[in-house]
Amino acid sequence: MERERFWSPYVAGAGIGLTLLAALYIFNWGLGASSAFSLLAAVAVKGLSPEFAGSLKYFSRQLSAASPLKNWVLFEVGGLFLGAFTGSILSGTIGLRFERGGHLSSGTRLLTAFAGGTLIGFSSRLARGCTSGVGLSGGAQLALSGWIFLISMFVSGLIAAAFLRRLWT
Amino acid sequence: MNSLLIAVIIGFFFGLFLERGGLGDPRKLTGVFYLRDFTVPKVMFTAILVAATGLYLLSDLKVMDLSRVWIVPTFFWPQVLAGLIFGVGFVLSGYCPGTSVASLASGRVDALVTMIGIGAGSLLFAVLYPSIQGFYVSSAMRNATLPGVLGLNHWIVLLALYVLAGGLFYLMERHERRG
Repeated sequence: MERERFWSPYVAGAGIGLTLLAALYIFNWGLGASSAFSLLAAVAVKGLSPEFAGSLKYFSRQLSAASPLKNWVLFEVGGLFLGAFTGSILSGTIGLRFERGGHLSSGTRLLTAFAGGTLIGFSSRLARGCTSGVGLSGGAQLALSGWIFLISMFVSGLIAAAFLRRLWT
Repeated sequence: MNSLLIAVIIGFFFGLFLERGGLGDPRKLTGVFYLRDFTVPKVMFTAILVAATGLYLLSDLKVMDLSRVWIVPTFFWPQVLAGLIFGVGFVLSGYCPGTSVASLASGRVDALVTMIGIGAGSLLFAVLYPSIQGFYVSSAMRNATLPGVLGLNHWIVLLALYVLAGGLFYLMERHERRG
């Protein structure tokens, strides 16, 4: 049974809520994810072309730190990987695979995975964070930002799914 | 203890609960958008209400100083538009940033492609930043909160959210049982 393979969503949700509360208590700062990607992109661009990176005003704040990679969110996301890895090993759900719901060809799936990621990366910067940093952390602070982001994301996702019915079914 | 080590530990539990809650699987992640699997809103709403209750309780008990917490700032229209774009990206890829990492950790190689895309999208934003900077900082409402905007006590807002969550959970469970 699919249901038995995972914990109750309410138990997992409560666990995430307590983890978020711990982050807020210890650091006065919530959970995040997308800024780690932005930081790595900035560092990668700087490695490839320091002049180009220097011309990007948005990246200058991240790159001006003495050691940009000694960053809280980057280590948190590293921990996220280890935690998910541990969880999938203990439950036996780990296994190499290439998800491509519906009847997508591998090429089409590569395209949807990359294009979807690009939209997510861009919009996360515009929102000042993603589902974790704005939706979850902002939502828990009862911040207006978190709730408007979550509502507009769900509305948009529902509409997109109606047009892309065969993508995941 | 070193704050970066604590960051790893906090991230570890975040990833463990995400994966064990089923959010390392793009089919479950996108299920809500197809109205067939409501794992994402159940996990998110529960997490938000547990953390919010704890945060405001600790603040009322003077254990925490809410004025020192970095509240996610509101930029109304940029965040509405960002949510709209994000939703399309979520359905297309099947992931969001945190869950793409959790999904790669359980062996899903396509999540790595999405992660590279997220980095590319961040770079795209940095490249376009000079021309969208005006919009990016528009409709600023600083650290606006629902209790502040509505002029209500935070426990009234939380109570309304508990009732809303309870109603939604009931409807979701009923809808899922019917298949």
